[in-house]
Amino acid sequence: MPSLNIDPPRSKRTAAPSDFGIGRREALKLLAANMALIASGCSKPSEEIVPYVTMPERLVPGVPLKFATTLPLAGYGRGAIVTSYEGRPTKIEGNPLHPASLGSTDVFAEADIFNLYDPSRTQAPTQAGEIRAWEDFFTAWQPVAAGHRQDKGTGLVLLTGRVTSPTLLRQIKALQTAFPAMAWHAYEPADNGLAQSVKLAFGRPLDILPRIGDADVILSLDSRFLDAGPQQIMLSRAFSDKRRVRRGTKDMLRLYAVEAAPTLTGANADHALAVTPPEIEHLACAIALRFGANGVPNPNLSPELSHFADAVLADLKAHQGRALVFGGPTLSPNAQVLVHWINAKLGAPIAYIDPVAGSDAQPGLPELVQKLSAGQVKTLIAIECNPVYDSPADLNFAAALEKVPFRVHFGLGENETSALCEWQLPASHPLESWSDLRGPDGTASIVQPLIEPLYDTRTPHELLAILAGYISPSSYQIVKETWRPQGKADGFDDQWRKSLEDGVIAGSAAKPVNVGEPALPEIKLAPAAEAITLVLLADPSVWDGRYAPNPWLQECPKPLTKQVWGNGLGLNEATAAKAGLTHGSRVRIVHGSRNIEAAVFVQEGHADGAASLTLGYGRWIAGPIGSDLGANGFALRETASPWVLDGVKIEKAASGNGLALAALVTKLDAKTEDLYPVLSLAEVPSANFERNREHHPSLLPDVREVEPAWAMVIDNSACIGCNACVIACQAENNVPVVGPEEIEQGRVMHWLRIDYYEGKRSPPQQMHANGFQPVPCMHCEKAPCEPVCPVEASVHNSEGLNLQVYNRCIGTRYCEANCPYKVRRFNFFGYASGQEYKNLGAEVLYAQKNPEVTVRARGVMEKCTYCIQRIARATHTAAKENREIPEGAVVTACEAACPTRAISFGDLKKSASEVSKLRTEPQHYALLGHLGTQPRTTYLAKVINPNSGLERGEG
Amino acid sequence: MTATGIPFQAERSAKPEGPFVPASFKDSTAVDLVARPVFEGPGRGWLLAFLAASLGTLAFGGTIIWLFVSGVGVWGINSSVVWGSPVANYVWWIGIGNAGTLISALLLITRQPWRASINRFAEAMTIFAVAIAGMFPIIHLGRPMYFYWLAPYPNTMTLWPQWRSALVWDFWAITSYLLFSIMFWYSGMIPDLAALRDRARTRTAQLFYGMLALGWRGSARHWKVYRTFSVTMAALAVPLVCSVHSIVGLDFAASLMPGWQEPIFPPYFVVGAMFSGFAMVVVLAALIRWGYGLQSVVTVRHFDIIAQILAASALIMGISYATEWFSAWYGGREADRSLIVYYFTGPYAPLYWAMLLFNVVLPQIFWFPAARQSILLICLVSILINVGMWLERILIVWMTLSHDYLPSMYRLYFTKPADWLLTFAPLGLFALLFLLFAKFLPTVSIHEVQELRREEAKA
Repeated sequence: MPSLNIDPPRSKRTAAPSDFGIGRREALKLLAANMALIASGCSKPSEEIVPYVTMPERLVPGVPLKFATTLPLAGYGRGAIVTSYEGRPTKIEGNPLHPASLGSTDVFAEADIFNLYDPSRTQAPTQAGEIRAWEDFFTAWQPVAAGHRQDKGTGLVLLTGRVTSPTLLRQIKALQTAFPAMAWHAYEPADNGLAQSVKLAFGRPLDILPRIGDADVILSLDSRFLDAGPQQIMLSRAFSDKRRVRRGTKDMLRLYAVEAAPTLTGANADHALAVTPPEIEHLACAIALRFGANGVPNPNLSPELSHFADAVLADLKAHQGRALVFGGPTLSPNAQVLVHWINAKLGAPIAYIDPVAGSDAQPGLPELVQKLSAGQVKTLIAIECNPVYDSPADLNFAAALEKVPFRVHFGLGENETSALCEWQLPASHPLESWSDLRGPDGTASIVQPLIEPLYDTRTPHELLAILAGYISPSSYQIVKETWRPQGKADGFDDQWRKSLEDGVIAGSAAKPVNVGEPALPEIKLAPAAEAITLVLLADPSVWDGRYAPNPWLQECPKPLTKQVWGNGLGLNEATAAKAGLTHGSRVRIVHGSRNIEAAVFVQEGHADGAASLTLGYGRWIAGPIGSDLGANGFALRETASPWVLDGVKIEKAASGNGLALAALVTKLDAKTEDLYPVLSLAEVPSANFERNREHHPSLLPDVREVEPAWAMVIDNSACIGCNACVIACQAENNVPVVGPEEIEQGRVMHWLRIDYYEGKRSPPQQMHANGFQPVPCMHCEKAPCEPVCPVEASVHNSEGLNLQVYNRCIGTRYCEANCPYKVRRFNFFGYASGQEYKNLGAEVLYAQKNPEVTVRARGVMEKCTYCIQRIARATHTAAKENREIPEGAVVTACEAACPTRAISFGDLKKSASEVSKLRTEPQHYALLGHLGTQPRTTYLAKVINPNSGLERGEG
Repeated sequence: MTATGIPFQAERSAKPEGPFVPASFKDSTAVDLVARPVFEGPGRGWLLAFLAASLGTLAFGGTIIWLFVSGVGVWGINSSVVWGSPVANYVWWIGIGNAGTLISALLLITRQPWRASINRFAEAMTIFAVAIAGMFPIIHLGRPMYFYWLAPYPNTMTLWPQWRSALVWDFWAITSYLLFSIMFWYSGMIPDLAALRDRARTRTAQLFYGMLALGWRGSARHWKVYRTFSVTMAALAVPLVCSVHSIVGLDFAASLMPGWQEPIFPPYFVVGAMFSGFAMVVVLAALIRWGYGLQSVVTVRHFDIIAQILAASALIMGISYATEWFSAWYGGREADRSLIVYYFTGPYAPLYWAMLLFNVVLPQIFWFPAARQSILLICLVSILINVGMWLERILIVWMTLSHDYLPSMYRLYFTKPADWLLTFAPLGLFALLFLLFAKFLPTVSIHEVQELRREEAKA
């Protein structure tokens, strides 16, 4: 009823224009127009998607390609296989066919991928700081070149590091033909320092290739042969192979190391003795005398050293023909000659080859500085070197350089030298370049690019061609030209292709040459020094400073100190106490008229009265990452004795503490022997860690028995602590860098850390039974992290992997609190998601990230996944091929990197798998196994081979 | 603050064995006593305190905003000591929050008449403390915006919380304890709210208190239901009080870490909570008594009794600590033993010694009756007990995580400004809430004081 009576005035009223003069319809219309405007105006910018018109050969989106190439370290090449996603290299691994890689990498090779994307790289040529085009340089070069054509190149100097590249050598030779008076100087700041002694001993330059595989006893006289360097992979692989203990192994290599400051070599020795450099020379003389050396002065050995010498001598003599003595750079050239002589007497397994580096015969920096100071240099082209920073201080290079009218620096990024050069020319990264390199044994390989140069850069070959007058040369043609045989060219393309695929040029290794008996040198023995002797070392993280701009390496814990983002003046406790210093004191190191400031790092393993400092820090122009960290050892260095400084005074300076540590070094004692058991070879068969593998009753469900059951076994004996795995993990898993302030706060992100257990010393200078233990996630079958997570972000999968579901994680951090191994890592800040350290949020770095691994956000926990992305790939491949995952199909990043094959990964369910076999070894144990966590990552205890003639342990 | 008749110093003369409520007290006196501050305008003292508390609250809010913007890295937590001051603060506030309900419920059931005058503000203290405590687990999260994932709610991920985690138990324990405490507190206040309603002179106040009083008329039937309800609630409260802090104890005990994985933790945490809660009640009682002139109902005898409880609790704390040391030694595990050595000799040792001094040694002074007569001394020791209890909680977190199994990951905790801001600023919020409570709600249970007087008169 009432509905009929409803009158329409209400609707009439709303339809009528309101006071504003806009009716409902108008309002709606305006609203709609407004919406449309908003919708069109605020949509995402349109992006054009263009599919490949022609698909690049073999490219399947999402499936990475791998290419063989070669990476340089101090001029020598190490073969590499680089993974590339859609044309973007992301990960470097070793090339098994390359003798300097053997399928493994070192810490620098792993980190090199960052250098490619480094945001601080120079992106275009600059002239006095102004951006220029390469053509401008070419134009600027023409008058200079014309002048030099007139004067035959007088005053034209090329300065390089070590050059092994056959192409570069060919080009330099060609350039020398064009400019006959051109001088080529070459130097390598962290050279092993043997060249002079070899020349003295054998009368000609030679390279020494020790055959560790044929040795049973090695004596290292401060030689650092296991430390970082171009030969580290080759030597450490042979070393660990000779020390690998498996059921039934009867003997293993024994290493004695005598050193002034702790090195990796000493840390891996069965007997390490810390004595000062003069004392080491005394020891060398004592040994030479026993081998019947004439004219060698009588040494003056402390009773302890003499006892040590007796034991070592007996051992060396008992292994005639299978014993090796390594001499190191801290020995005087004459003492090094003595070492060559002893090796000859021992019939030591050493191959001598003609020098691999074509630059060895070239004059070095001292000669250059003479010329510079005399004003004889008109043009200096510095190619990929940084003498203003890394030349010995007594040369005063920077001042001399200023006298050169036309200065050119060519390199990856800005550095101290480029800052003093008018022209700074950007170099291509090796991953963007065509080139070639030789390994330490002479094996040549091609450097092939994985990516077009990111910026307007050139390779050294192109630079030399530009200098020779070509406007736009192609390094591909230049390199290929080197290897194209003269005359006939049939089959060359096939050979070339094979060389590229293999990553080595077949048959290019140097042939051993016969050398005569080395001459006996005149030796003068110095008495033990009263003042402090400072030993310089190449840094295990930044080498000679060239890796300083690399944040991965800056944050890579140094093997023996776990220090990051800097260096410290190493001293032992006694020496520090004598000087009234403590760990962290700021001191002034005074040597003659030069001095630098540094922080004291008290570290056992130094000789009394010896101090050590690693090179490569204190750089002042090394990008935002590498500048102004630590103390600059080059500022004290002297040409005459580049590795040892006598008569150093250490004075207290202002207070302060600048030692950032990523972890702590653990002293081995009764309390830690469960964590890091050490066995002698004889104790291995009777070793029993069963208690350790006990299975406790548990409330946690059993892991469902599904194949495969992934597990990892790490051989503590094989690990030399080189850190390659740490950086490999960082590159593979997009592990962010946190920066020094965060490290000091106690925050780290590395998924894999290497614990260092320092052995007891008895007597005080002698160290025994210490070693390294890589600690990734244990993937416990009864994982303590899982039941404590309130949101089930920490879960187990059927293959035994302990997984962290980043999306689900709310960041209670209980899992890390409850992890007995402390292997979980928390993003306290957005280390990779908006709060990056310095320039590490730069867009170019996104390209380096492994697309198969999530970049973690702030507030989530993360940890080692056993490289689950690699497992997934292998699983998919096997499923596609309808078969089981074959043994060896999954290689984790750390395992692939390890130069000593300390890490094995595989399926426990297969009794024939490597991990299954290793798990039955007598020295197999689980870290903290008594907690009932049933870890899937387990260890083989460290096995050492001490000389029973020398006391061991408590003695 | 209203002027009081009795100066603070004169209180000592009150005899410990005297009545809890003076015999001269009329029913209307009790109402007057409580209603006067409510209906009078705020004094200068109150305003000043309110201003200070507001500043603290602002600091608290500001720090939380800073925290949400920057990330939990603003705390001193690190890769080994992943928990820090927020966890310690959480446990501390929960501990404070334990005493109120305990005093009301346990003492109601055990028929301790003296509780009448202090239970109301003790309960208020509980609610505010638990509410503050409840914030810490959330702001402690790396991704606080997802805190609700701890609750089982239907979601597209078809995921529920992980029931084995002590943190989920915790979530329930805090939530239920907070809800229960609010109910218990409010229902206990109803008769007093009705009294205030009847006293109210303005329409707003009448409406406000009238609504809150839920139509209480004080009929015999009302009282009968009310009694049954209170006792039932009290019976429910006691296990809840014990469970909430037991579960906080389980947060640590249900782990694998040396120094945490200890069966004694749940009871030890409950006693610790009672201990710190009583200590906090003492301080608040003294302040309220002084500020509101409640000397007649909050007597020295109250302080005397609480001091005795403190002394007894301190002994139990001492036994708990000693049990920890003993079981570490007796259990024989290297990690446990070396942790105990670390307690006494490690870098945190001065704090540990201070904790033992404050929590175990100092309260023993209350064995002397003279010490129990000085409110000032009782307050001083109580404050130190609360400092000691905070140290206990922070040390449980720091020491175990700094010194667990693998020496390479031993780390110390270095505090940052946020740690201190989030430790002290919540006191501002607590004070703010308490001031509002003291201004607008009956701080003392009127009906229970009246009842107590009657009973004392009978006796």
